[in-house]
Amino acid sequence: MRRARRASMGGGAFAVVGVAVALLAPVAEAAPKRIVALAPFTANTLAGIGVKPVGVGQMLGGQKRLSPKLDGVRALPLSHPNGPNMEQLARLSPQLVLSSPTWRKGAATMRALDIRVVESDPERVASVAPEIRRIGRLVGRAKQAKRLARKVTAGVEKARKRIEKRPKVLVLLGVGRTPFAFLSSSWGGDLITKAGGRLLTAGLDAKSGFARISDEQVLAEAPDVILAVPHANEEDIPGIVDYMRDNPVWKSTPAGENDRIYISADDSLLQAGTDVGRVIRSIRSRYLKN
Amino acid sequence: MRTAALEARGVEVAIGGKEILRGADLTLEAGQLVAVVGPNGAGKSTLVRTVAGIQRKSGGAIRWMGKDVRELRGRRLARIRAFVPQSARVPEGVTVSEAVGIGRSVHIGPLQRPTRRDRDAIDAAIERAGVTQFTERKLTTLSGGELQRVQIAVALAQEAPVLMADEPTSHLDLGATVSVARLLRGLADEGLAVLLVAHDLALAAAVADTVVVMSEGRSVAAAPPGRALTRERLAEVWGVEASLQASRGGRTALHVGWLDQRVRQP
Amino acid sequence: MLVRRSLVVAVAAAATVAAAAASLALGAVDVPLADVIDALTGSAGEGPFKQIVLELRLPRMVEAAAVGAALGIAGALLQGALANPLASPDVIGVTGGAGFGAVLILLVFPGSIALLPAGALAFGLLAAAFVFAIAWTGPNAGGVGRLILAGIAVGALFGAGTTAILTAYPDRVQSALFFIAGGLSSDGWRELEVVWPYFAGGFLVAACLMRPLDRLALGDDVAASLGARPRLIRLVAGIGAALLAAAAAAIAGLLGFLGLVVPHVVRLAGGTSSHTFVIPVSALVGSALLMAGDTLARTVKAPIELPVGPFMVALGVPLFLLLLRRAV
Repeated sequence: MRRARRASMGGGAFAVVGVAVALLAPVAEAAPKRIVALAPFTANTLAGIGVKPVGVGQMLGGQKRLSPKLDGVRALPLSHPNGPNMEQLARLSPQLVLSSPTWRKGAATMRALDIRVVESDPERVASVAPEIRRIGRLVGRAKQAKRLARKVTAGVEKARKRIEKRPKVLVLLGVGRTPFAFLSSSWGGDLITKAGGRLLTAGLDAKSGFARISDEQVLAEAPDVILAVPHANEEDIPGIVDYMRDNPVWKSTPAGENDRIYISADDSLLQAGTDVGRVIRSIRSRYLKN
Repeated sequence: MRTAALEARGVEVAIGGKEILRGADLTLEAGQLVAVVGPNGAGKSTLVRTVAGIQRKSGGAIRWMGKDVRELRGRRLARIRAFVPQSARVPEGVTVSEAVGIGRSVHIGPLQRPTRRDRDAIDAAIERAGVTQFTERKLTTLSGGELQRVQIAVALAQEAPVLMADEPTSHLDLGATVSVARLLRGLADEGLAVLLVAHDLALAAAVADTVVVMSEGRSVAAAPPGRALTRERLAEVWGVEASLQASRGGRTALHVGWLDQRVRQP
Repeated sequence: MLVRRSLVVAVAAAATVAAAAASLALGAVDVPLADVIDALTGSAGEGPFKQIVLELRLPRMVEAAAVGAALGIAGALLQGALANPLASPDVIGVTGGAGFGAVLILLVFPGSIALLPAGALAFGLLAAAFVFAIAWTGPNAGGVGRLILAGIAVGALFGAGTTAILTAYPDRVQSALFFIAGGLSSDGWRELEVVWPYFAGGFLVAACLMRPLDRLALGDDVAASLGARPRLIRLVAGIGAALLAAAAAAIAGLLGFLGLVVPHVVRLAGGTSSHTFVIPVSALVGSALLMAGDTLARTVKAPIELPVGPFMVALGVPLFLLLLRRAV
């Protein structure tokens, strides 16, 4: 029931986006050759439709999520507030930059340098396929993009088969004194929901997709699984796990009592990629056990 | 009859709702040194600052060179009278010549550079005040007496016919006091109209042509020292048993009955 | 004396020119010197090098020069007007207000990010207006002590407001961090187009106040007797400093160090407090320092751009301490 609704919403979004792009795209412009993709999603999408960008974004301390097809492509380190270093970007003479809302401040500078900037960073699983198709149209590979979109959608559907249990999940960003709970409007929250988890924060809404929730609420809602996404490397994980297991509030939840407190070290819950199916399967087997 | 440099009648001043001056008179003429004396709180400083145009008056008439003080603004007044305040700030990093240059600035237009004439006036002021050997020294390195003479040099650089000094010797030692007293008297002899507010009655009597006695916001006497500072007046205004003795050669002395119980204290 | 001052002016001017040249020639991308010169003289062909030099580095250099000069002058104006060596633009509440305005836009209205310089400028000036309103009314109006206390109070008020916003939107704090640490970014001419009138106004005010400020040196009574109006001079100096500091904060964030230390460096080096020397030379030294600091911030860990504040402290403090040791 929910899937159908999501699909039709996705379809509606697609229609709006399609019309908008058709209206706004410059008439009779050749497909851009020099493209820079700042997010893993856009970079991997390009790789998946056979386009090699001239530059890809690289978050400092981020995990490697880029397709092997992109080996050898110039990596541009990204930092706040602009994203890539403008000089390095200008050096590549890009015609199109696929950016994300995080780097909106830099987008204005890029436009001043006569570079076309399009924001693309899906926040929902349902937006992934339409976004892939949109990118395909932008770079003149509509057919290949349709194929990729179908493949990704199929992968997601397969990953969601036979969900047996729907545990209650609390997903947290960061560790320490102010962890933030993922809401259903965030990428990670939507992933968990698609994987069969019930978000503890299901009813809440906030502009940013994250919210602080009080410890009282955590106790009252009694999550079965607690999943934390810290800003940390692989080596730091064991120490953080111990710290979290000692948290007095969490200890008394079902998750604590059944030793189902997990840490996710990779970024797949923070930002979209094209390997959505794989990520959902991994979430189910490692964390939700459903 | 020549117009007096300064003619002040019935000056009234109230500060913060409190009456400080209740009607004071003052006259200054070229070549004369007038000393204003009186107990603390009598209004000496206020009178001088008011006639100088720095303090606003609430009543009375003040005329400089025949013109009402309210018509003479800023620089025009500064070219008529120079004012040496009781305790001027001693800033860091300023030399004597720079300070005297500040006094000279009333003659220099906003976009003009100092002319030859201006530099000569500055040098002359420094020399007249006797501080030539300190010209490049920073103000903060000078002693009290040296500083006081520099302040007079600042005022002299204005080349104004009137010089007003508010208690210039109150914090100085005897030697410095004498040197400043000589300087002021010499300036009066050269034709300046000099006004001096003083605590030291013997000093005032020695250098002044006219002594103005202030008491409770009023000027109660304006006469040569011998007539202004009589035994009666000293008892009435200061509440002390004292007498002024002037001897040949400008020497003065104040004989005070320090422990005398006869006079009621105010 | 004059020789020493002329020497200091010459050194400051040379440093400014050198820093400007370094600003244009150095960056994250290695642009050959010949290409830099070609781009500047207009004889370069279209291409990334020309873009980098003319649209990224040149506006940034001009911004750094303007902001550095503005902060140096603002500090000199305030230290002269308030007769207090600890005076700086922070004292009149401008930095606190600008910080609040910027964080308000960055965190609460991120969609309106184009309004960032306008917001910082508006709140910076608003804070200064509060401070002046408090300082110029009531008992002892216009006095230095009252102004400084008002500045501290208003600064604390806006600082608290800023902290409140930061805690309400902690997930967006990243964006605000760069502004608070203080730094320029390669944004082209956009931001400068918004704030240049405020720079111009402030520079003009400073030029007009050089002589009047000297007249305050011996105290308000002497100044008044010379026909100057000490309170008016102080007010106009405050307004000039507010314009310069607010415009600087609008494009470069909260750079607190320059306004305080640069005038002292200039005074110690030149051996004089005369404002006809201190104000222009503070402009030169401030812009040289900021251009140099910004170049370092852009190149030391390229392509990452670090905030410029720490670099200026690293450059300025040793210089300051050296001069302090040899101070007469």
